[in-house]
Amino acid sequence: MMISSPKVISNLLFKRILTIIVAVVAPMYALAQSAAGDVIEPPKEFDPTSWDWVSILIWVLIALIVLVIARAFDIGGLAESVTGKKIASANRINAWVGIIVVVLGLAGVFWEISEHGKYLLLWDAASEHGSTIDSMFMWTFGITFVVFLITEFLLFYFMFRYQYNENRKAHYYFHNNKLEMIWTIVPAIVLTFLVLRGFDTWTKITYRGSADHEDYKKDQEIEVFAYQFGWKARYAGNDNKFGEANFNFISGSNPLGVAVGDQVDSLVVRLNAQIAELETKVKTVKDSAQLWQSQLDKLNASGLAQVYTTQAKALREKLDDIHSGAYEGQIEKDLRRKQTNLKRIAAYRAMPAVFNNAGNDDKVTTEIVLIKNKAYRFKFRARDVIHSAYAPEFRLQMNCVPGMSTVFPFIPSKTTAEARKTKGNPEFDYYLYCNKICGAAHYNMKIKITVVENETEYNTWLASQAPLVAPAVVEAPAVPATTDSTAKPAMAIR
Amino acid sequence: MSTASLHSEHHTHDHHDHHHKESFISKYVFSMDHKMISKQFLITGIIMGILGMTMSMLFRLQLAWPDEQFGILQTLLGKWAVDGKLDPNFYMGLVTIHGTIMVFYVLTAGLSGTFSNLLIPLQVGARDMASPFMNMLSYWFFFMSSVVLTISVFIETGPASGGWTVYPPLSALEKAMPGSGLGMTLWLVAIALFIVSSLLGGINYISTVLNMRTKGMSMNRMPLTIWAFFFTAVLGLLSFPVLLGAALFLIFDRSFGTSFYLSDIYLEGVGALENIGGSPILYQHLFWFLGHPEVYIILMPALGITSEVISTNARKPIFGYTAMIISLMGISFLSFIVWGHHMFITGMNPFLGSVFMILTLIIAVPSAVKVFNYLTTLWRGNLRFNPAMLFSIGLVSFFISGGLTGIYLGNAALDIQLHDSYFVVAHFHLVMGSAAIFGMFAGIYHWFPKMYGRMLNQNLGYFHFWLTFIAAYLVFFPMHFMGLAGVPRRYYMFTLVKDFEIWGDTNKLITVAALVGGFAQLLFLYNFFYSMFRGKKATQNPWGSNTLEWSTPVEHLHGNWPGEIPTVYRGPYEYSRPDREEDFFPQYVPDESAPEVLEPVKTKSAPQTEEVKETEESTVFFAAIKKVFGLS
Amino acid sequence: MVTVAQKKIKDKAPLVAPAKLNIWLFMLASSMLFSALVSAFIVHQPDAKAKATWTMFNLPTYFLFSLIISTLSSITMYLAFKNAKNDELIKNRLYLVVTLALGLLFCVSQYLGWNELVAMKLTFVNPRPEDISASYVWMITAVHVVHVLGGIILLAVGIFKSFKLEIHKKQLTFMSVTHTYWHFVGLLWFILYLFLYFAR
Repeated sequence: MMISSPKVISNLLFKRILTIIVAVVAPMYALAQSAAGDVIEPPKEFDPTSWDWVSILIWVLIALIVLVIARAFDIGGLAESVTGKKIASANRINAWVGIIVVVLGLAGVFWEISEHGKYLLLWDAASEHGSTIDSMFMWTFGITFVVFLITEFLLFYFMFRYQYNENRKAHYYFHNNKLEMIWTIVPAIVLTFLVLRGFDTWTKITYRGSADHEDYKKDQEIEVFAYQFGWKARYAGNDNKFGEANFNFISGSNPLGVAVGDQVDSLVVRLNAQIAELETKVKTVKDSAQLWQSQLDKLNASGLAQVYTTQAKALREKLDDIHSGAYEGQIEKDLRRKQTNLKRIAAYRAMPAVFNNAGNDDKVTTEIVLIKNKAYRFKFRARDVIHSAYAPEFRLQMNCVPGMSTVFPFIPSKTTAEARKTKGNPEFDYYLYCNKICGAAHYNMKIKITVVENETEYNTWLASQAPLVAPAVVEAPAVPATTDSTAKPAMAIR
Repeated sequence: MSTASLHSEHHTHDHHDHHHKESFISKYVFSMDHKMISKQFLITGIIMGILGMTMSMLFRLQLAWPDEQFGILQTLLGKWAVDGKLDPNFYMGLVTIHGTIMVFYVLTAGLSGTFSNLLIPLQVGARDMASPFMNMLSYWFFFMSSVVLTISVFIETGPASGGWTVYPPLSALEKAMPGSGLGMTLWLVAIALFIVSSLLGGINYISTVLNMRTKGMSMNRMPLTIWAFFFTAVLGLLSFPVLLGAALFLIFDRSFGTSFYLSDIYLEGVGALENIGGSPILYQHLFWFLGHPEVYIILMPALGITSEVISTNARKPIFGYTAMIISLMGISFLSFIVWGHHMFITGMNPFLGSVFMILTLIIAVPSAVKVFNYLTTLWRGNLRFNPAMLFSIGLVSFFISGGLTGIYLGNAALDIQLHDSYFVVAHFHLVMGSAAIFGMFAGIYHWFPKMYGRMLNQNLGYFHFWLTFIAAYLVFFPMHFMGLAGVPRRYYMFTLVKDFEIWGDTNKLITVAALVGGFAQLLFLYNFFYSMFRGKKATQNPWGSNTLEWSTPVEHLHGNWPGEIPTVYRGPYEYSRPDREEDFFPQYVPDESAPEVLEPVKTKSAPQTEEVKETEESTVFFAAIKKVFGLS
Repeated sequence: MVTVAQKKIKDKAPLVAPAKLNIWLFMLASSMLFSALVSAFIVHQPDAKAKATWTMFNLPTYFLFSLIISTLSSITMYLAFKNAKNDELIKNRLYLVVTLALGLLFCVSQYLGWNELVAMKLTFVNPRPEDISASYVWMITAVHVVHVLGGIILLAVGIFKSFKLEIHKKQLTFMSVTHTYWHFVGLLWFILYLFLYFAR
């Protein structure tokens, strides 16, 4: 049986690693290079002036420092040994460093609490349930912080106190039933307390949102609608009834997809036009191919393809798509989607229960205005992907899921003006943020929430918002009440 | 069945005979030797770790100086950082791939793949894994998976960027963001390969632990590392198939047009989609059914390694061996029924939320037991601070700090405020990220002599430890405060929101600390690769450890032991026994006169009757385990 | 240089042949996969029913045939195993081949069952959104057939080994693994069929 020496092994390993690096990294680098521009450009000439010399220098410097430190330690390391004396000296240093680190660290913790503590949203929740969350938080914080201090201190204290001493033998001590029972049962009791309190808090907050809660009907509902990348709110309007809404009705002028006859009808017209356009596109695939081919040929023949690279590339891609069938496939997919959309709209359009004009006076706003001490229920809808409505000042958070409505009940307890005063910041405003990763502009998806003192202020604001259908206009003719029994149950409004 | 095993043994002999002719390929590339495979896992894990860490540096730069321009970014990233400013889409991609790499590639495969492979056969006394061929496949699936994931970073539309949890519909709709195109497809391919790898590995680990232990190595004499790897493998075996199910549904939704997860979607620029009836929340249930055990898949090997390292270097038996196993078992079991705490605010039934909250907070009990047991192990020990020991102590520190914040997040009421805020980032980076990576470092420093036959430089190790430890706290501790101030995670910049501008300085501090931490890792890399070739030659048992792996010769041989596999006579943690001259008493040293366990020195809090009861309990417990597994 | 005199060494034999334990563990893992699919089905159903996007339909009759075929093949598999244990090699081969044939027949039957679904306009990719139930049926049956194909490969290797006289009284590990696995996929189909029949 042959055993290679570690040196041989490591040399071979080294070779292997090199091979892997070359094999893996080189093509990736090439890929990265080609990904670096939209257009595949010819390799540039060597141009050192375009390099970022400063950062290259910094990186080289960092590498050098690492090497120097590493070498210095290596020379120092030659003297090290595993025998007792040396262990003791290294040990003492480490134990001392440990003590210093834990003292400085705990000091840092207290500094941080005093420094950043004032920014934390812990004491002045702007909603009624928020203060129960805050008190839950303070209980948890009190308990865990004590445990944190004791255990972290003990850890480093033991580290210092029981550092190696060659004349001492460790205490042979491998279990103690009583101790272990104690530290199983005590945390269990403390946690039971936290669980019960948490359970109570959670239940009180969430059950108000369930339909069988006594206050459910009393609470005012506001629809909060999330989309990439923004929020919209919908107020029920004068009739206090929300119009039905469906994602099939969404269009540029009707962003929430409310069942408003005119809007939906004009969407139908537009969809029909788009479908017709797509159908002609399918029919004229050959013509387009010829056209693009001739354009490309012209570009190539004139030598302009070298100049208009983007256009030439686009043409080439379009032609490739046509030849591979991807072009037609895409059009057919679009066509099918739009037809389905149309079919579904038609089915709904025939349902008087959906187009009941309740939505005409609904107001879609780009700001949420609430009255202090009034009970609200936010009802969330999402248009495209999962978002999460997060208003930390109100201790409010709920995911907005496409195809599933979620609610969050709460009572704002502090007006914007009051908050400005306590925060000493005259420009302060409440905001509702997006808190579930949803795309590139996730970080800038927010809507302002204003809490006003009384109904008058609210009414003034609401009056300034336009309803979906201006009341002056004669309402759309009632929907033909065809008893369309073919309307599938699947189409029932959700 | 003895016939069958004889047969397989015969094969092993063949192997040994052919050893002379073993080519470079079969020895270093398609190796079936568990020690070589563990090194392969480690090196791949380290390379992926460098990648993941670099990504975190890049987005930390963005968060600290959102308005600055960094030439280095453009040099590195090309069109993703035009004029040295990071593209928001690519920022999301970096966040996503950083998470994926760290969770799956470094802390699952890199940690448990490396040390399960190295230690299971060595510490239970087996010549190799139950199925060396499957073991090799496991590595190569992992390797392919790593390559696919790495390639996905370099494609034109960018890598997957919906967060490492890739929630649909964002990840299912190609038009929702650039990363949801080809990048997401590659992500799914990589994860599917990864699942295959981890199942092949897991089956092997369990099979070896249950089936291939040497004479005398009963389950209650196994080192805690092996217990931890065993439970980890069981968790992986039970939860990864569920992720595969979730991924299959997602693949079909993406590429075939089914509606498992999709419903009622209108996409800007596309229009209303056809899909209705799907449930996006279903994905989250399936994902977190894996996702939560995954947290413990990451953490438990680190805890096992720490138990071993702390006991060895405290020269003291680990306190409460049985309690440690029971708490590992409790954590493993509970981890399967608490996934809902990741979904408190998805609009789930409030009652279901409370159930998940209760179950979640129960996990704190076994975790607390583990912490107290570690502390008691240190108490009146004779602590030797080599880097492995320091990293283990660091792990305990992170485990405390991060574990305690788990009590906040497991509380559904508090989760309303804290969910997806920086508080969460701080929590899991401490308890799962830093703690687990410290466990991995502890393992590397402790078993490097076993892996490469050389010692790592201790002084560099000290510097590496203290820099990393301090940097990690400086990075993650302030994040708690940001979270409590309502700062959401995964934001590309905070300058657009007035309320968050006050965190600018904190963000700069965090980034600087992160850069220092990254710098410390360069020291480690230097130490690692330099010592591999030039380090001081290791002695056979450099740490004076009890466990079986140190009875093998320094130089590796296929089959591990030159002669017979040693028999095991006692538990793994008999350090500083009063009846022994030396402060350790290896498992494999026969001494008929010495009892297996010495009754501990009487202390006031431990009356004799309790002791007797404890032994009885543990006997009953292990008898039950034996019954369950039908073994020895 | 360390040299090992391997012949003198007698290690403790493992309690069970590793391959056998491994196949049990694999079966455990794949049960988890099916539990995931089935629980997704169970969780999704009331949700989708509430939205009226869940079609009830009758399972294809061919799926029932498949159930009968799989039961038969389990019996022949058992006979093959029994004969291998008794060193009746010719019979062993015969039953293995029959089992393989039944396995293939099972796949054909499932294929015909899918055709039936298509004829009912219940395709995998739903032209009508209310057919998520059909998507689930497709998914579950397809993943199961993949498992059956795995079993068929094992069987084919088994037949090959049997002809090479590598399966006999004293060398049963492979046979036993195939036997266990084949019963597993059979049982799986039994459970899945019952589930789909009552829950769909």
